[in-house]
Amino acid sequence: MTATNNARVTDGANSRLGWLPPRRSRPSVLVSGIVAGLVVVHVLAWQETEFSPGALVQGWRGMADFLSEALPPDLRWKVLGPSIDAALVTLYIGLLGTTLSVPFALVLAFLASKATTSSTVVYQAARSILSFLRSVPDVVFALIFVTAVGLGPFAGVLALIFHNTGVMGKLWAEAMEETDLGPRDALRINGASGLQVATNAVFPTVLPQFVGLLLYRFDVNVRSSLVLGLVGAGGIGFLINQSIKLFRFDQMVTHILVVLVLVVAVDQLSAVVRRRIGA
Amino acid sequence: MTSELSIRDLHKSFDGRPVLSGVDLDVHAGEFVALLGANGSGKSTALRCVVGLQTADSGTITLGGQDINGPHQRAAMVFQQIHLVRRRSALDNVCAGALGRLPLIRSFTPAVFPREVREEAMECLDRVGLADRAAEPAGRLSGGQQQRVAIARALCQRARVVLADEPVSALDPSAADQVVALLADLAHEGLAVAAVLHQPELARKYAKRIVGLLDGKVAMNASPMDLTESDVDALYAPERATA
Repeated sequence: MTATNNARVTDGANSRLGWLPPRRSRPSVLVSGIVAGLVVVHVLAWQETEFSPGALVQGWRGMADFLSEALPPDLRWKVLGPSIDAALVTLYIGLLGTTLSVPFALVLAFLASKATTSSTVVYQAARSILSFLRSVPDVVFALIFVTAVGLGPFAGVLALIFHNTGVMGKLWAEAMEETDLGPRDALRINGASGLQVATNAVFPTVLPQFVGLLLYRFDVNVRSSLVLGLVGAGGIGFLINQSIKLFRFDQMVTHILVVLVLVVAVDQLSAVVRRRIGA
Repeated sequence: MTSELSIRDLHKSFDGRPVLSGVDLDVHAGEFVALLGANGSGKSTALRCVVGLQTADSGTITLGGQDINGPHQRAAMVFQQIHLVRRRSALDNVCAGALGRLPLIRSFTPAVFPREVREEAMECLDRVGLADRAAEPAGRLSGGQQQRVAIARALCQRARVVLADEPVSALDPSAADQVVALLADLAHEGLAVAAVLHQPELARKYAKRIVGLLDGKVAMNASPMDLTESDVDALYAPERATA
């Protein structure tokens, strides 16, 4: 008896048409294998990361001591004023790191997108450069640039330019590859060159996505520049690091509150702009 | 009389499945040819081979007496899905028809298109009755208007042959009539026009000649007046016609 006939017998009784397509009775071997593999990987991850809720419960006293020293935050102006100044530096690092990476990301994105590049060699080379820039964390770039230009925000800006070029270039290249082939074909058949097609069909189509991704990366980079401060690249991350080293946890909480305000403001601003442009 | 577009013995297969099996087609200047045939009969593939979107396995394609093998300024295409850049104005989209004859430095963005190209594009928009909508983003126009902008783009290309692949399949009857009438007018003005249509009544009303394709071959080449319902059945439902 075929599967369809089976369905006719089992599901047909209550069906107006008398039969239904057979339902899948059990997961395929492939799905079962994937689920089993995921379980194994998670068990390994649990062991290797020494994940232990019990240790967290046992150590509650340490956290309580820490919080008692951290709260209430030290909101005196002599702490808050420098904190706000440093937060602005963090904002500037994120801003410059984002905007100065735009020309490099744009060029590499055009070279690394099948929508705008016909040469496989150029495509693979551009993809490789983007992969390299993306795979080196911005903190590592910051440590490298600190050795070249010394401690301070400049190293942070350089680190973000390099890392963000890799991330944004890839996101933009993929946005271009997802554009409709039709407008490109329409220009290609009237004799337009690849570059003309890129600038007249692809770029105007993806512009809202480009701006949306740029704002998203600005948002991420402002938060990243905070971490870069912890390794000596200036900004409020540097102040947080100093507070921890001096055991002034109340001042650390003040800095974190300022960071919170900064991150929420940047997030809201970019959300408003993204909504306005429909990205 | 020489053909503006001449296709001889065109063959094309996809994955070993023949789609074109020796298509011959001539379209003369001033002629509007309607191509009829069921889905998969090879109409669109034949047109796509002419403009270089597909490469034929064998056969020859001649435009204005010159053998071609790929995109050519003399042939423009209008698509069912229209394929305008929706965020750009109607005028900018029409200007894009001139890209093939402009250097990059004068064409990488509409802001640098030469004035004479913009003036020519305005004339093309005026020809299709949309000069008053020139500044509007193409995406805000109705389907019929967008298709007319696409035809204006073909005019701005200065093409001598306009190919239309199901240009009215996504339009309401009134807009469809307007678009096909416009294509017929262009033929009256001297262009060679070939349009894939699935509306035999529009083909009868506007075309000068009707070519029917069946299983990758030209099965009918007739004047609109000679097109009967059994001819249409033979193209779209051959099993019913022979029953």
